[in-house]
Order: sequence, then C-alpha cells, then structure tokens
Amino acid sequence: MKLDELTKGVFKYNPIFYLMLGLCPLLAVSTRVDNALGMSLGVLFVLVGSNVIISLFRQWIPPEVRIPCFIVVIASFVTIVDLFMHGYVPELHERLGIYIPLIVVNCIILGRVEAFASKKPVSHSLLDGIGMSIGFMLGIVAIASVREVLSTGAMTIFGYAIIPIFTETPATVMLLPPGAFLTIAIIMALINYKNIRKERK
Amino acid sequence: MENLLAIAVGAIFVNNFVLFRFLGLCPFFGVSKKTSSALGMGFAVIFVMTCASAITWLIYTYLLIPFEIKFMRTVTFILVIATFVQLLEMVIRKHNPSLYKALGIYLPLITTNCAVMGVALLNVEEEYSLIGSVVNGFSAGIGFTLALLLMSGIRERLELADVPRSFEDLPIAFISAALLALAFMAFSGMRL
Amino acid sequence: MESVKRIVRISIPLILICIVSGATLTVSNDMTKGRIEEVEERKINGSLSIVFPGASFNKMDDYYSAMINGEEMGYAFVAEGSGYSGTIKTMVGMYQNGTISRIHVISQLETPGLGTQIAEPDFTNQFSGKRIEDIRLRRDGGLIDSITGATISSRAITEIVRTRAEEVMNETR
Repeated sequence: MKLDELTKGVFKYNPIFYLMLGLCPLLAVSTRVDNALGMSLGVLFVLVGSNVIISLFRQWIPPEVRIPCFIVVIASFVTIVDLFMHGYVPELHERLGIYIPLIVVNCIILGRVEAFASKKPVSHSLLDGIGMSIGFMLGIVAIASVREVLSTGAMTIFGYAIIPIFTETPATVMLLPPGAFLTIAIIMALINYKNIRKERK
Repeated sequence: MENLLAIAVGAIFVNNFVLFRFLGLCPFFGVSKKTSSALGMGFAVIFVMTCASAITWLIYTYLLIPFEIKFMRTVTFILVIATFVQLLEMVIRKHNPSLYKALGIYLPLITTNCAVMGVALLNVEEEYSLIGSVVNGFSAGIGFTLALLLMSGIRERLELADVPRSFEDLPIAFISAALLALAFMAFSGMRL
Repeated sequence: MESVKRIVRISIPLILICIVSGATLTVSNDMTKGRIEEVEERKINGSLSIVFPGASFNKMDDYYSAMINGEEMGYAFVAEGSGYSGTIKTMVGMYQNGTISRIHVISQLETPGLGTQIAEPDFTNQFSGKRIEDIRLRRDGGLIDSITGATISSRAITEIVRTRAEEVMNETR
C-alpha cells in the first residue's frame, strides 16, 4: 500500500520521536513557531528533492562512492534553499542563520536517502520524503509552540496573534537552551507514558 | 588580530557547541553512555574539527573567494570534510592499528556530525583568520568533549538510579542536559 | 588495467553529479544574486530613513551625510562590533553637534528574548537626544539604562555606538 509510505513518517516512524534524528535544528530553531515552520519547509524541499533525484538515478550511482554522491545532491538542494531564502524571505533567513546550510548534515536527510530512496522507486521515495518532512514539521512545531507560549506569554505566527498575551512575566528560560532540552524531555516522557499504558492494557 | 583567548573561552564555555549552539547532539546522546567511548569520540572530534577548520578556511579563502563562488561553500565544505574523514580513517587503519581500534569506529560518525560542519561555517561567517579558525575549531572540539564527558559521567550514575519508567533512558538524559545547559549559562557574560 | 577501469567506472558518475550540481547552483546563484543584493541594500536604505526620517543621503567615505532641504543635518553611519554572541550591526544617526538622532539595529545574534531586546524601541529610543559622552550604561557613568538580564548585550551595543560616533565626529571635524 503506497499511502503507508506517506503516513509512516508522520506517526509510526516519526523521524524525531521514534528515530531520534535531526535533533540539532530541532532544538536550535524551535524558539518561535515562525522559525520552526520556515525550517520545516526548507527540510521538506531538500528531503523531497534529494529523495526523488537519488531514486531516479539509483542504478547509476556506484555503491563505492554512493555517500559522496548523496552528499553532493543534498548539499546542492540546501544551497538552493539558502540562496532563495536569502533573496525572498530575508528576515527568516537571518533568524535561521547557519542552521540553513546545516540542513546538509541533518541526519534525517542522509538517513532517508541512504536507507530508502537509494533502493525504492521514485513514487515511493517522493511520498516517503513528504511524510518524513511532515513528521519533522509536527515535532518541531510542537516543541516551538510550547517554548514560544511559555517564554513570551503569547503566540504570533507570521504577524498574526494566535494566542494573545496572557502574562506579563513569561518564563524566559524556555527560550534559552535549557528550556529546549526540558521541552523535548517532557514530550518524550509523555509518549513513553502513553506507550507503557498501552502495553499494560 | 582577534583575541585568541576570547575565541577559545567562548567556544569551550560561553557558547559551548553542544549546550548552547545545539551542534553535535546526535553523538552527544548516542555515545554518552560510557565514559570510555565518550573520551574516544571526544578525541576524534577534536582532531577532525581542528584540521577541518584549517582546510575549509584555506579552501574558502584561496579557492572560493578568488573565483567568486562563495555560494558553493556548503557543497565544498561537506565534501572536503567527508573526504578528509575517509582519508584519515584509511591512514590510521594502515599505520596505527591500535589507534584505529580506539578511534576508528567513531570516525564515520563524524561526517554527519553537524558540529564539524558548524565550526567550518562559523569560521567564515565570523571572518576569523587562519589561526583564529584553528583555535576556534580546536576549542570547539574541547568544548564538545567536555560536555560529552560530563554527560557520560552523569549517565553512568543514572544507570543505578531509580528513574520513573516513562523517563528512562533518553528523557532523563535530556533533563540532565537541560540542567547542564543551565549550569553552563553561568558562563554567560564572561568577557575577555 | 582492471583497476584503472574500475576507477573510471566509479568516478565518472561522481564527477558528472558534481558538474550538474555546480551548473545548477551557478544558475540559481545568478537568479537570486540581484535580489540578494537588493535585499542587503534595502536593509541599509531602510535603516537610513529610520534614523533620519525624510532626509536624503549622500554617501561619503564610510558614512552618509544626511541632507534635509539641501542643508546638512548630520551623519548616518553603520557601527559594528561583537556583542554577547555574535556581531551586532547598527545604523546610527547623529546631528552635527554630536547628539544622537536615533539608532536602529540592522542585525544581531544575541540571546533570544534577553539580548535581542537591544533591537527593540524601548531600548533604542534611549539613545535619541543623548550626547556622545553620555552614551554609556548608567553603571558606567552614562545615561543608558541596561536591560535586566542582558547587561553584556546592552553594554556591547552602547560601546559600539559610542566608539564609532567618536570616530565619525573626529573625521568630520
């Protein structure tokens, strides 16, 4: 069933909470939901692009040099994202900073290309890329929402106030590195808790 | 001439690569279960980061800037780092098998370690000189090793602790990292 | 002979991929180059009109002279230096008598939520109307209130602005 390729990345094998991949950008840019969305779109483009290209040419790539080949393809897509973001959404580009070129070492992408796209047909790889990216987006947006709401006492996405300011003394620590670690720890513990409950039943 | 001491202290403590910049988190949680493997990984990273800083700086300054192809930096840096790690692995395996035994298994992991790529990018972004870049790379490696060692020490003890089941393994490791990061925030505001 | 063949077989795809990648990126670079330059220029121009609203600017060596109705009002210049965690770049407008008209932070990489407040009006408005020698934190004997929890960032930007302002003052004298 083809649709499985799409949904497995979103829930069952979520790249963040199940596979524990792509932690660096996850924690670094999850200070605001805007940044998280921007980052996810970058990852979506790179992952889908690389998955499709690698899958298309998978018979032509000699196994001995497959990793360098993958890296060049991925890095090219990352550079395209970097250039176009700089030109068209300069503010977002500035806030994401070096974490845009660092998409290239995001383990989700090399991981999916190596484990999936280099072995499967194009259509499957396309769906896999979309699914995994949505999974990544869900994870990073979840963490960013918690951090933004707690650290600013409000939530604003691209200028629209989603949650109006409800406190004058927000917990700034959530914006700082400790807050990032704390948020992901608690989200993961909740997932574990749910799984343990399920086992018991 | 930039202040080398400030770069070093900045990279090790104030802007610690793992705890402040969130770079190299995968090995930070992946190989921090035992102190011995943390140390091995740490040394491999220090060495690769120092050399990668120098190589990428030279390539950026003498190839990418003169030919006006700065936009190729992501592609070139990652390729150079991957090639360098691969070569290093081959050289060590051939000439020093005992060292290979100690560090070898960590080398392939380093290619996708964003800390190495991160330091290369930061060097050119901050416009450091060659020496500044090398110092930055070396110190960032030390900072990484320091964080990794502290973490592995904590996790070795956690093995013996009675942790709630939902928090076992990774969640509690993240909580420890949060506390470590909080402790490192005390370095905020150090100025040299 | 066998090994040469093998090397060729392995390296040709890799080389081809590199060539295609280089070509694609050159094309994308050409496509975005104009826009990126425009964006960077707009950042400067935008901040110029913030520090001296309604003025026109003439580019001098390393500052802009601000003209209103054909009369020189003062100077606008970029002050740059290292903050708490990265470079702080700010546009400064200064009247001829050495009073600051307004400052506007162009880019900074300070701690989100704390140090980033140096870019907000609550902080930057303090500079307006102050004389160069008063551009110091209160605890350093000046008239600028630092941001709670972000003394380093506050001091950094204050020092960056004052140092550059003094330089420009000496140049234009």
